[in-house]
Amino acid sequence: MNVQELMAVQTQALAEVADAGAPAELEAVRVRYLGRKGQLQTIMESLKSALPADRPALGRAVNELKQSLTAALEARKAVLDAAADAGKTSAWDATLPGSWRRVGSIHPVSQVIAEAIRIFARLGFTVADGPDIEDEYHNFDALNTPAHHPSRDTQDTFWLEGRRLLRTQTSPVQIRVMESQPPPVRIIAPGRCYRRDTADATHGANFHQIEGLYVDRTVSMADLKGDITYFAREMMGADINVRFRPHFFPFTEPSVEYDFSCHVCHGTGCRVCKQSGWIEISGCGMVNPKVFRRVGYDPETVTGYAFGMGVERIAMIKYGIEDIRLLYDNDARWLEALA
Amino acid sequence: MRIPLSWLAEYVDLSGIAPTDVAARLTFSGTEVEGIETIGASCPGVVAADVRAIAKHPNADRLRLVRVFDGTAEMEVVCGASNFEAGARVALARLGVTLPNGLTIAATKIRGVSSSAMLCAADELGVSDDHSGLLLLPPDTAPGTPLAEVLGLPETVLVVEVTPNRPDCLSLIGIARELAALCGRNVRRPELEFAAAGAPIGERVRVSVEDPARCPRYTARLLDGARSAPSPLWMQRRLRAAGVRPISNLVDVTNYVMLECGQPLHAFDLRMLKESRIVVRRAAAGESLRTLDATAHALTPEMLVIADGAHPVALAGIMGGAESGIADDTTTVLIESACFEPTGIRATVKAVGLASESSYRFERGVDIGNCEWASRRAAQLMAQLSGATVAPGVLDCYPVPPAPRPVAMRWERAQALLGIPLESREMMAIFKALELPVAGATDAGCTVAVPSFRVDLEQEVDLIEEVARVHGLDKIPAPAPVARLVPGADDRPSRSREQLRARLAGLGLDEAMNYSFVSERLLGLCQVGDPATRVKLPNPISADHTILRDSLLPQMIETLGRNKARQVTAAALFEIGRVFSRGTGGVYQEEERLAIGLLGPVGRGGIVSRAPVTAEEVFGALKGVVEAIWSAQRLPVREIAGMRRPAVDWIGCDGPLFEAGQALTILLDGQPVGRLGVVSRAVRAEWRMTEPIAVLEMAVAPLLAHALDVPAARPLPAYPPVARDLAFVVADAVRHEDVVATLLQAAPKELVDIRLFDVFRGDAIGAGRKSMAYALTYRAAHKTLTDEETNRMHESVMQAVSKGLHAEIRAG
Repeated sequence: MNVQELMAVQTQALAEVADAGAPAELEAVRVRYLGRKGQLQTIMESLKSALPADRPALGRAVNELKQSLTAALEARKAVLDAAADAGKTSAWDATLPGSWRRVGSIHPVSQVIAEAIRIFARLGFTVADGPDIEDEYHNFDALNTPAHHPSRDTQDTFWLEGRRLLRTQTSPVQIRVMESQPPPVRIIAPGRCYRRDTADATHGANFHQIEGLYVDRTVSMADLKGDITYFAREMMGADINVRFRPHFFPFTEPSVEYDFSCHVCHGTGCRVCKQSGWIEISGCGMVNPKVFRRVGYDPETVTGYAFGMGVERIAMIKYGIEDIRLLYDNDARWLEALA
Repeated sequence: MRIPLSWLAEYVDLSGIAPTDVAARLTFSGTEVEGIETIGASCPGVVAADVRAIAKHPNADRLRLVRVFDGTAEMEVVCGASNFEAGARVALARLGVTLPNGLTIAATKIRGVSSSAMLCAADELGVSDDHSGLLLLPPDTAPGTPLAEVLGLPETVLVVEVTPNRPDCLSLIGIARELAALCGRNVRRPELEFAAAGAPIGERVRVSVEDPARCPRYTARLLDGARSAPSPLWMQRRLRAAGVRPISNLVDVTNYVMLECGQPLHAFDLRMLKESRIVVRRAAAGESLRTLDATAHALTPEMLVIADGAHPVALAGIMGGAESGIADDTTTVLIESACFEPTGIRATVKAVGLASESSYRFERGVDIGNCEWASRRAAQLMAQLSGATVAPGVLDCYPVPPAPRPVAMRWERAQALLGIPLESREMMAIFKALELPVAGATDAGCTVAVPSFRVDLEQEVDLIEEVARVHGLDKIPAPAPVARLVPGADDRPSRSREQLRARLAGLGLDEAMNYSFVSERLLGLCQVGDPATRVKLPNPISADHTILRDSLLPQMIETLGRNKARQVTAAALFEIGRVFSRGTGGVYQEEERLAIGLLGPVGRGGIVSRAPVTAEEVFGALKGVVEAIWSAQRLPVREIAGMRRPAVDWIGCDGPLFEAGQALTILLDGQPVGRLGVVSRAVRAEWRMTEPIAVLEMAVAPLLAHALDVPAARPLPAYPPVARDLAFVVADAVRHEDVVATLLQAAPKELVDIRLFDVFRGDAIGAGRKSMAYALTYRAAHKTLTDEETNRMHESVMQAVSKGLHAEIRAG
């Protein structure tokens, strides 16, 4: 066999490929030439008897034949497949609903807590935890609550036996953390709190708070304002403003209440902010030296700020929830819509 | 507290400052203005008129024809009120005037008599809600004077919330003092001048204080010849605007002075005080007192009373007695102006269940230095309004006047705490403006001699707060935060919990949240937990919330039931929350748990068939969630025969909550950490649920313990796997876990995967039997398995299954 003969085989084979009108015909061509007992196999066998000098050229020609034939087969197959697919419809309906399961939702209260943790984590705060069943000392005494303060009444607080109670605030976590470690302290403490409030659109007997505490050598009110403002903008939007009003809490001095500008109307007044342009969030202030002395910190060497916030309140504002009871209703349709 | 601005203006000049600005200054200095109310309208066209004559209406018994002069003309008006006679001054609305209640005066005929104006009652003018008769104006009012001028309408009232530490702001003068400091103006106090005559009080009345700890100061003053009458209109107006109902001149003065300066006062009728004595003492056991509100109180020795020579006549600082107070015929008045200790007042208020404006102030702290001034002020006003004569002198039991409290403040400390470089001179100016005398000042700081009206100022930071709130919190900068890291802080627990939530949601579950309280009934229904170790609330808020939950399951089942009742057909919920119990010795314990509840065809995607959900299906879905979470949270795995399987053991779980045989307890290292099962028909019946639902509860701690462990990467297998199927028929009682155990026991190390792909029951198999089919994978670590080798291994596995499980092998 010489190169001319090989060229002839190639021409013949390519012509047959081009003539194949159906996939089965094309397959027959493939088997005839490239199959285990096909013509190329025979040619390869015959090369063994060729003159050694001719072998390289013949080998190259055979390879070329094989490559061009393979390429032609593939190209023709694509053409035939496309022709076969043209106008054909699938046996199944591609618009059927997908069968992979949906992703669930995380409760708004958990979302707000997670978001707050994330925001304060960027500033170096870590999460601290405390028990729901507290003692009177951590919930009231250590926080400088006067012995006869109305918040201690059975009217307002769920008392248990042995001067134990369901914590009315997350502030006792401040005390537990300071008791357990020397300064500096930079913690936030989310958790569930309890007050004997009759349930209505904005109150429930259990609710969640996030407590924050920062103690170091020179913590100032300017730090408090800066950090709360940063939090407000991260949580509610970059254009949120914060205003601070002096107030009174036994465990901070000076004490401050803070409001966010209304994220709905941006301060012009609307139904959400009751026309005031501001939404009251919660309280904060500089840690009262009396509290530091209780936990064995020296108020001459450290100062600190503390803040609190109601999680449900922020969740209601953020998600546009009008009644706090919806957060505890657990209607699957309502929860699914939050995913 | 309600602050009528026109009254406030007596004590501080607010000219040029709009009411909204006054409110803002108070709010941003710590006295929050909750609202600004407007009382009454200016009522243009309503004027004072003189009643000239009154005649009967010819056609109506209850109507009268009133001839009035409005300053320019006389006219006849038909009127239904009868609380006035000729000579009275009344409010006349002229033709065409629209009153605040929307009524427009038109010419009309009433029972045949034409009337072209209207005489008005207080409610019609928006002055108060009084409709008992016409509003009567002072008799000396000139006819034609616009009503707004007579009444000072409209009146603007600030409703302020005074924080508990600032009782000094529970008065107009206190608020005026704040505003004077904030606006750079001065406080004006009323001039107190009156003549005294007759026998001095000391010769007529004896006062003794037996408990000076509970009553550190008691003053008494006496007036004779008082005549009880309604207060003048200006005083009534102010009291009403402040939210106090006018009664009579003598009583009104006590309220007026309390609102003015914050000192609660009481007025006794001296005739009713036996032996003309005042004894401030503890009540004796068995004594009782009927207070002004006509309720009777049994007294105890813990209560402080004001007594006369024989009996208690007032509950000290809270309310006077019904018999000894001011009556219409009272002529001799004893004014009590005293200071009572807050704790005792609070205890008595609680014990008798009676509070008053007076007790409210004493509980917070009344200015002990002001008692005598308030007494003089009341005497002056009573003399002025009732024609009484003040007896000379005052009885003042004041054994230990407190010295001014020195509190020091360092400039540098204030600057550092506030974060602003405020100069010492500015801080001094703030103290001066607040009437806080600076006893001494140096380069380092100053000392304030805290006056008696500021009970809240005790330590340095209290003074720093004064500086901050008067200077303005808005002037403190809010710099960009600086991140600071605390060495050793560990955020892994919270990250693990967040990861758990995210993965549960990722598996298609929605997070629910229930209250920590449950009802006894729900717990009884579900019969979970141990009634003996439950935490009961001694003071629950409602019958539905009497117990702290000791399991999340009852509420999860209730939640699914409620959803079902609302025609929700599918729900996949989880909750993470704390449960509570009492351990040995009654110690309170809490533990964080995870609950999951599945309702409906939650595992079916795409085309959701209407085929009823079976217990097996819903349970299988739930078990799948547990297995997925187990590996997602990296709980321990066991490596047996080369295979890594969750190190979890399942054992049957009995109990009334679950269907028999359809519940499992989850064991981790042999310890139960949770359970899951199909809720029993009996429990479901409570919510009329006929279809099966499945619930799980387990401890959260093991789910967090390894959540952030880093898994070691494993090399990919170098040699190809060989697949062999194993199908057999066994007795129904043989469980999948039994099959797996048998396989693992018999398996060569080359068996690397076991997957169940079919379970079938039917006539062809026979009753009490089932067909099971497993896909087994074999692979050797260091070579390619030949067919022959694989067949040999598979043969031995088949024999083990055949023998061990009495299985009939169906195919190779």
